Amino acid sequence: MTISNLSPLPRRSTSQVAIEAPNLSRRGFLGVSGVFVLGACVPGCAPTPAPKLAGGGFAPNLFLAIDADGTVRITAHRAEMGQGVRTALAQIVADELEADWARVTVEQAPGDTKYGDQNTDGSRSIQLNYDPLRAAGATARLMLRQAAAQHWQVPLEEVTAANHVVSHAPSNRQLGYGELAGEAAVLPVPEEAPQKTTAEHRYIGAPQIHVDAADIARGQGTFGADVQRPNMATAVIVRCPWLGGGVRDIHNRPAPTPGLVGIEILKPAPAAGPNFTPLGGVAVIAEDTWTAMRIARELNIEWEGSPNADFDSAALQDALRAAAEQNEVNGVEAVPASRVPNAEQGDVDAIFDAAAGTELAATYETPFLAHAPMEPPVAMADVSADQCVVEAPVQDPQTARHLVAEALGLPHASVTVTPTLLGGAFGRKSKPDYVLEAVELSRRAGRPIRVQWLREDDIRHDYYHAASAQHHRAIVDERGLPSAWLQRTAFPSITTVFGEVPQPPPAAWELEMGFSNLPYTVPNRRMEFAGIRPGVRIGWLRSVCNIFHAFSANVFADEMAAAAGRDAIEHRLAMLPEGGKLEQPGMQPPVGYELDIGRLRHVIERVRELAEWQRPRPEGVGLGFAVHHSFRSYVATVLEASMVGGNPRVTNAYMVLDCGTYINPDTCAAQMEGAVVFGLSLALYGNIAMAGGAVVQSNFHDYPLLRMADAPATQVELVPAQGRLPAGVGEPGVPPVAPALVNALFAATGKRYRRLPIATA
Amino acid sequence: MALKLNVNGSEREAEASADTPLLWVLRDHLGLTGTKYGCGGGYCGACTVHVDGSAVRSCQLPAGSLGDSRITTIEALAETQPALLDVWVANNVAQCGYCQAGQLMSAAALLAANNAPTDADIDAAMAGNLCRCGTYGRIRAAIDEAASRRASVAGESQ
Repeated sequence: MTISNLSPLPRRSTSQVAIEAPNLSRRGFLGVSGVFVLGACVPGCAPTPAPKLAGGGFAPNLFLAIDADGTVRITAHRAEMGQGVRTALAQIVADELEADWARVTVEQAPGDTKYGDQNTDGSRSIQLNYDPLRAAGATARLMLRQAAAQHWQVPLEEVTAANHVVSHAPSNRQLGYGELAGEAAVLPVPEEAPQKTTAEHRYIGAPQIHVDAADIARGQGTFGADVQRPNMATAVIVRCPWLGGGVRDIHNRPAPTPGLVGIEILKPAPAAGPNFTPLGGVAVIAEDTWTAMRIARELNIEWEGSPNADFDSAALQDALRAAAEQNEVNGVEAVPASRVPNAEQGDVDAIFDAAAGTELAATYETPFLAHAPMEPPVAMADVSADQCVVEAPVQDPQTARHLVAEALGLPHASVTVTPTLLGGAFGRKSKPDYVLEAVELSRRAGRPIRVQWLREDDIRHDYYHAASAQHHRAIVDERGLPSAWLQRTAFPSITTVFGEVPQPPPAAWELEMGFSNLPYTVPNRRMEFAGIRPGVRIGWLRSVCNIFHAFSANVFADEMAAAAGRDAIEHRLAMLPEGGKLEQPGMQPPVGYELDIGRLRHVIERVRELAEWQRPRPEGVGLGFAVHHSFRSYVATVLEASMVGGNPRVTNAYMVLDCGTYINPDTCAAQMEGAVVFGLSLALYGNIAMAGGAVVQSNFHDYPLLRMADAPATQVELVPAQGRLPAGVGEPGVPPVAPALVNALFAATGKRYRRLPIATA
Repeated sequence: MALKLNVNGSEREAEASADTPLLWVLRDHLGLTGTKYGCGGGYCGACTVHVDGSAVRSCQLPAGSLGDSRITTIEALAETQPALLDVWVANNVAQCGYCQAGQLMSAAALLAANNAPTDADIDAAMAGNLCRCGTYGRIRAAIDEAASRRASVAGESQ
């Protein structure tokens, strides 16, 4: 269910390992003028394939260097977008290395298959790298001890390493890491190195200030648009309002103007299966951004048609509702639904026919969403005859590099793609269409080009989070427990971006995001799904299909509890098995990553305490509960909300996270705090509509985000689970927020909001 | 024609037209890239700078309209408000960091005018600054802490 498995592109770039990667034979520590470098020698790496990690990837290779002055340079090979990964990766290495944190620096790696998986997506950075990075740090620590033992001619067992210093206690001698770097560099790399116990960890599991925090506070962090290059020009591109339309004519081609470099016409992306191909349009290249923006806005362009030019999101929503309900809606016939294989239990129809109990049925609807990172897409490319240099905020520098190489007909070795800091991404910046725009324009202009997307471009030309409809139908008893439960989900699949199938059904991995892996005990159950081809690009947005699946399942469960007049948390606990691991239909997660009912119950019980769930709130103030397992983590949420002057007002949020072993607890808390804001933005306001193929919204006035005055006070509790397998942190906080809000508003007002966003419900 | 601007205490010149928004003069002509473009419409506050001490959206301000007003950007804050930056770092406020220059400039203007801002004061001063990562709680905590630190320093010096 990881994102990289769905697209042909990451697979293609993975397959280059054999072709492109340098010989990964154990290179060992390379002695370079007193510099001690741990190269591509993480134990277990190629040519022997790295151990299969839980995330499905190979162990990456870390580039760790200790300079003669003792500076430890750790290479972050994953992209930083606010999730604290540059800090967390360094914490892992530094802990096992026994480095002094004050002497650690972090360097950003370009996209290169030698690092293993670099697709910073799917909340997997720690899952994929925890073990290999511990091994990398521990190996280096052992070699420093070995070097010291040799230097002093004493047994290794008598030599210890702590906080950047190797000591021999019996003779009271010490050497710094920098002093030992040269001697360590010539030693053979040990096959294995002892690692610390959980109790010995001092950076892993401890709060740490982000390594970029000071630069950011001083305005010194380098984001995409901050990249400078001699002779660089800036391009702003006017894109066709609908997907797949080319330029027919420019009615007012601008006269030569100071600062204007040129106008370039770019061919459109395919109308179906556009993949990461740039959208095309008219590029205005200028010496400065404002000149490019000003001229671009004045252009009067006539566009060619496309099959998407009449796309209408309201009609799509009718079709989704029809598919979810398997009924005609507003004259739209239902696309037939398929059943999730191996998911059927008992006989749902027989129970519905017998109707012994209360029948509940509800349809939930969610709209298209835009990622809207605060930094709109931007990329700098410098193409010359035999090479290309890209610096850009990209989540997946390897895929970007591969596509750039392909576009230019250059070998991968001639293309460098280095991620800058990402000014937010949320999935948007794993699609490098904007990088390819810069590359094409630089190739044509013969000079470095920065492509700057305007906010309007970002909102109108995104890879949108899919609109959806879910239908739930159940028979519940007097305790609110379901004897039968029919779930049906309908949404345009992300796979439509990669292919041209007319009505492709959602993929199994999309259904495994909170639909086919619901953990509740139901004797009779059926799960069905249907897909509709959209007229826009669909993409993955922070927590992906979990957003709408967690929404409908948590609200419908709340409706079951309400129908029986039961406490929502008591009811939910009663709906869960006592313990054990969920056996979901289809592929099972790796051992250790199964949905553990005990851990799910625990976060529910903890959030009940944290929120003081039983404490009476004032009249008109309601509590809402939701819980969700995603990205292998467990999150339970309670929101406290009311309606004030006709508007929802959330006063408090309570989040309990079990993500297994965590690296930086402060980052985990920050991600939960941020998930509350992200979840409330989408629940309250998030709505992208299309009419005539064009996106209606354009900027933050009509695609609003939560502002400070509306952000609740958030309390986060992290379940101590050091020693368990690490799981996701960046995404799993988002799914329970919207349903908790709807449930809280129901508790506060008795009104049930089944359609998001609430502001337009 | 060259524009003349007073930026961070220096007289600066830029070869830009008078209608160029201050944001782009700072970024493209003066190399002060700490100030960010977020929306171009005055909705998000990523481009917030100080003009004569007030927090303004530099994307909405034609550079030619500024005369000899004193313009302050994030790059100068380390000198004028180092304690605020320290609190910001110590609280791990930033996530991606892109909006933070704007947030800091709004917070700095608030604290310069108000020694002890209430929650409502903070809401009002920060209403124009969006953060997609959702760092609002920590921004509020950092402003509170900066204000109370300053109060205690002021108390000690009396």
